[in-house]
Amino acid sequence: MKSRACKPPALGQDATPTPAAMQQSLPLELGGREPTRSGAHSRGGLPARDTVQHLWFCVWLPQLPLEAVVSTGAPGTPLAVVEEHHGIHRILMADAEALAAGVMPGQAANAALALLPTLQLEERSPPREQQALEELAAWLERFSSFVSMAGPDVLLLEIAGSLRLFGGLQALRQALSRGLRELGFAAALAIAPTPLAATWLARASRRVCIRDTENLGPALRRLPLACLDWPASLCEALAGMGVATVGDCLRLPREGFTRRFGARCLLDLDRALGHLADPRSSWRAPEHFCGDYEMTTEQADRKLLLNICEELLQAHESFLLARQLGTQRLSFSFFHFKGPATELRLGCARAERSAARWFDLLRIRFERLVLPEPVIAVRLRGGMTQPLQAESGDLPFHGRPGASQRRFSIAQLAERLIARIGDQSVQATTMVAEHRPQYAWRPHSLLADWSCNTHAEPPPYLQRPLWMLPEPALLPADSGYPVHQGCRLRLVDGPERLETGWWDEDGISRDYYTALRPDGRRLWVFRNRNHESSWYLHGYFG
Amino acid sequence: MSASLDKLLANPRVWRGRDQARHTSGLASGYPELDRHLPGGGWSPDSLTEILTSQYGIGELRLLMPALARLSQQTPEQGFGEPGWIAWVAPPFQPYPPALRQCGIDLSRMLIVRPQDASEILWSAEQALSSGTCAAVLLWPEFLNDQAGRRLQLAAEKGRSWAIAFRPLTARRQASAAALRLELQADAQGTRVHILKSRGGRPVVVDLLL
Repeated sequence: MKSRACKPPALGQDATPTPAAMQQSLPLELGGREPTRSGAHSRGGLPARDTVQHLWFCVWLPQLPLEAVVSTGAPGTPLAVVEEHHGIHRILMADAEALAAGVMPGQAANAALALLPTLQLEERSPPREQQALEELAAWLERFSSFVSMAGPDVLLLEIAGSLRLFGGLQALRQALSRGLRELGFAAALAIAPTPLAATWLARASRRVCIRDTENLGPALRRLPLACLDWPASLCEALAGMGVATVGDCLRLPREGFTRRFGARCLLDLDRALGHLADPRSSWRAPEHFCGDYEMTTEQADRKLLLNICEELLQAHESFLLARQLGTQRLSFSFFHFKGPATELRLGCARAERSAARWFDLLRIRFERLVLPEPVIAVRLRGGMTQPLQAESGDLPFHGRPGASQRRFSIAQLAERLIARIGDQSVQATTMVAEHRPQYAWRPHSLLADWSCNTHAEPPPYLQRPLWMLPEPALLPADSGYPVHQGCRLRLVDGPERLETGWWDEDGISRDYYTALRPDGRRLWVFRNRNHESSWYLHGYFG
Repeated sequence: MSASLDKLLANPRVWRGRDQARHTSGLASGYPELDRHLPGGGWSPDSLTEILTSQYGIGELRLLMPALARLSQQTPEQGFGEPGWIAWVAPPFQPYPPALRQCGIDLSRMLIVRPQDASEILWSAEQALSSGTCAAVLLWPEFLNDQAGRRLQLAAEKGRSWAIAFRPLTARRQASAAALRLELQADAQGTRVHILKSRGGRPVVVDLLL
């Protein structure tokens, strides 16, 4: 390995593939045999740990458009995915039965139907493909802590760290390919020390396993340029020059190649061969849940919808259980065939994952939910998740002797109330250190800031009423005294002068009095000092 | 004669109201002259109490404050699994926190619920009562018929919670399942508490300085 700077003419380092390296390539599907290693490095099948740092497992899903489609027909119905090109629907992909009947990719949809009248045609759906890919990526997370999405149909796993856990490369590969088969994906697999090489090898359906960087070059050389995912115009230009494989590319002078085709392709080649670092970003399964339930026909049966919701909540619970998380918010969307979806939001005072508890809240709300139309699909979206705090239950002998068991905690009570009558209608209050009576307290939601309380203590000598009016009410005056509902009030205590509030432009200048009506009611009134004769009622001494 | 009377009274089918009340110890109201007339020497906390008033501001809350303050500060050692929450369902005005604090109420254990309609008031109160976490539930129902009152009474017994319903004076003629019914009347001299009905007690008028 000489440095490239001294030896610029060729892109690759080794001009010819060594036979020893080629033996490292072996079919992936041949189970039960550890890859044999030949040459001087062979040490009884143990991985040469000093030379291999990373090992990338590539999963390429060439039939993803077909696999992402949910077949609605009877089992065994031939299926094909169509894509629109210039107004004509053409077959993009067809399953084995359809292919056997003569349906071919590129065929017009009508021609395919003429060949096979029972053929079920589905429009290609990239969002659904992405969703299927993400579901698969989430499943693959069990094999590696590092799963990366390398394209719309390519997933990469870093498996060097997982080999020991899964009992070696062979066992891991078998488990993976078996799992993929069970999930119904036809995947092309390849293993290589660089992510790009693994991707290219998988795309070329080479089914190889390369563990050392020095063997990469020989394996890549034979790959056709079509599997590199380079722009088609570039591949055509290269083909016109007689360059058909990666090996042909590597033989070209580096400077000329860069000048003609841009630096990106050269960088790709260097990355694939391991000469340049190729950092990948790790994909993480989303920490919030989103589950859909689609129905074949519109449904208006509320009992059935409730059952569907329960099913979704159970899926939500198992999603959170695997992550030891809980969530405080949930939202259900009920989709209609026409018109906007009906939304239903649920909140919980504490992070919660139990499907039974969420279902309890849902039932309260669902009773009064108005569904304008039948429902075609239901979606459950989980809110922001947070680590779940375990709650310790009471021991049976704690509790009041003879007392009935506590049915639910205050948090659960608040949730039930909020679920039925709304967030704004259930409040806790807290004191605020403030002399102006209307600002001396503040309501707060039970869901948002649980147990927040300032320790402002009102002095006991101040007269404060137990009832406060939402807004001070203007009182008429009779020769300087306030009049309430036709009765002249007797001022029995006061004045207590409360002034200023310059900092928020709501300054007051008031004299507060305790006033007594002849019928025994005690009122809290004030005289506005800004307007000499105006009296206001602000509360009752309840 | 006395022996036959004793025999009769020993019959389990004979129910004696006074004895029932003796078994439960009441929650001291903080007004000794009222406690003297209440069965058990105080409020009966696991039941429905009705307070009939014509007006707000005559001491209807001050009457309850000493007992509510005790309930809200009760610690688990004193009996409740969780210190008692006090729920206010559909209060006519804003319960003013500084004044409540002055009365000794723990504000962090207060829940104010404002349902939109009459049936939701009763539903919320029933939920709060039967939850077993609220030591007291104060409610201002728009209507309270015999059946609804009975439901509240049952919920209070089930959740071991004290239900206090504030009702207008016109409700006086209605039958009620409440264990205790009071009527408050005020004049310039003070507030008069009229015990209309008391399970195991006697109707009486008590003058209080609230």
